[in-house]
Amino acid sequence: MNTVIPVSLIVLPLVSSPLTYFAGRLLPRQTALARTISLLALLGAWLVFALVVRDYTAPVEFRLEGIVFRVDGLSLLFAALALALGTLAVIFSGPYMAGKTGEEKYYALLLALTGTMIGLACAADLFNLWVWFEAMVVASYLLVVFYREKSASLEAAVKYLVQSAVGSVLVVLGIALVLAQTGALDLDAIRAAGTSPLLLVAGVLFLIGFGVKIAIVPLHTWLPDAYSQSPSPVSAVLSGVVTKAGLIALLRALAALAGFTLSWSAALMLFGVLNIFTGNLLALRQRELKRLLAYSSMSQIGYILFGLGVGLYVGESSGLQGGLFHLLNHGLMKGLAFFCAGALLYAAGRINGNEHALKIDDLSGAARRYPLLALALTLALLSLGGVPPLAGFMSKWQIFVAGVGTGESLITLLVIVAALNSVLSLAYYLPVINVLFRETPSALIERGRTLPLAIIIPIIVLAAALLLVGLWPDALTWLTQPASAGLLAAFGG
Amino acid sequence: MTSLNIAIAGALVLLGVGLYGLLIMRNLIKIVIALQILGKGAILALVAAGAISGQTNLGQSVAVTLIVADTVVAVVGLALAVQVRRRFGSLDVNELSTLRG
Repeated sequence: MNTVIPVSLIVLPLVSSPLTYFAGRLLPRQTALARTISLLALLGAWLVFALVVRDYTAPVEFRLEGIVFRVDGLSLLFAALALALGTLAVIFSGPYMAGKTGEEKYYALLLALTGTMIGLACAADLFNLWVWFEAMVVASYLLVVFYREKSASLEAAVKYLVQSAVGSVLVVLGIALVLAQTGALDLDAIRAAGTSPLLLVAGVLFLIGFGVKIAIVPLHTWLPDAYSQSPSPVSAVLSGVVTKAGLIALLRALAALAGFTLSWSAALMLFGVLNIFTGNLLALRQRELKRLLAYSSMSQIGYILFGLGVGLYVGESSGLQGGLFHLLNHGLMKGLAFFCAGALLYAAGRINGNEHALKIDDLSGAARRYPLLALALTLALLSLGGVPPLAGFMSKWQIFVAGVGTGESLITLLVIVAALNSVLSLAYYLPVINVLFRETPSALIERGRTLPLAIIIPIIVLAAALLLVGLWPDALTWLTQPASAGLLAAFGG
Repeated sequence: MTSLNIAIAGALVLLGVGLYGLLIMRNLIKIVIALQILGKGAILALVAAGAISGQTNLGQSVAVTLIVADTVVAVVGLALAVQVRRRFGSLDVNELSTLRG
């Protein structure tokens, strides 16, 4: 394949990001131009993506001096997710962010975030991976603190920045250990260099450093604040893709440290179950919709970690495929849920930084006034809770089947715990649905504005996708199958 | 003591000072400074790692890139500090604790 095409997949969003900013600056009251440019850039990226997928047979590698990029199954899977949520977030933000100060910066940052995430998924040497990761994190800091006059979002951003920055330093220390030991940063070269105890230490540093972004349990404290305080489309992207970017980076880094796959798989399974349980417990007592969704992200990440851990443990691609399938599904489900929360905030006119103000009781009677929205939110929550025949059930099922299929009693026990937790999670999803269909509308719903088309379209698209994937789970196999096979090969399974 | 040993010892000292600062500091600007010290320790560690493995060029070029990335984080952190001072009238991070649960 010509390398120009995969390169432009990364370059296109990154180059259009400053263009968007300058367009918005030149025509201060005409942010429609900035919006259009960012949308066109993302559509262009979709076109490039389609070309890459069409010609894709084997991983494509390209180098710029010593910097190595490789487009493989995992990159394609992640690029698809990043582009999907990025595009929908730009569409959604049209009415949502209209007239806010710094709107042009917002679109530029959203594009930069999407571009850096695609770059991260294609990086094939350790330091390159870190640079993309850091660039992505910086773009996400600025989006989290977009309402910079609000004390709550400042607080969320400070927590996020300090924790992420320490995580980044730990990753760099891990890189230094790997470099000292193997004399290489190319992932393949590190793998070829063999094992040593120092590399185990480096892997633990990667686990902690990238774990901050994934919100592995003791490192999760920034997550509920950041997700609930950022503008809703940003929450959708953060929860749907940015968290997973940390996971992709972690998988890539750990895959290079050959010989410790069993330790990593055990750690992934253990932290997975811990995340599922802690996320559920913390979500149970939430009274604000966006905070509840944030904590539920933690537990859903746990399922992904668990599936990946199981797959790596037995060296079979079914668990990995289940984990990656859940990764995609969670992007769709949580994206939809945050878009719905955003739509309700928009309807209430509370989009000026009062992002945390949406209590669950405020949703009362929403089904009467906004039937489509209520239906979509119900679908998203049921799918998150793993109710068949929705997308979330299919991937969780695949993970559980893979876990039981290992035949190990300890893993089977963990699967039972995870499955029971899926039921536990319904204890906080169902009350929200119940409130939606109450008879008496809340004051917020009664005074609510009508929703513009640009807000409804992303919601319909994602809800339709959830149903489609639920009824036809093979719809995403073309993405998950090469990705899991590639990952398994990288881990030497 | 060779220069390599000095570099490794320096990296460890910087990391220790940075972590200690992060744990005890309550002033947001001082926290950013502590993060910077941590980052400098990591940079020194990378350079030392390059020297140990005989890949001096690789280690140093990576370190230069790292300085840029580190600076960006510092800029964002200080910009946040400016906004926090405007909003809260203080740089004490203990005052930043309205979000709970």
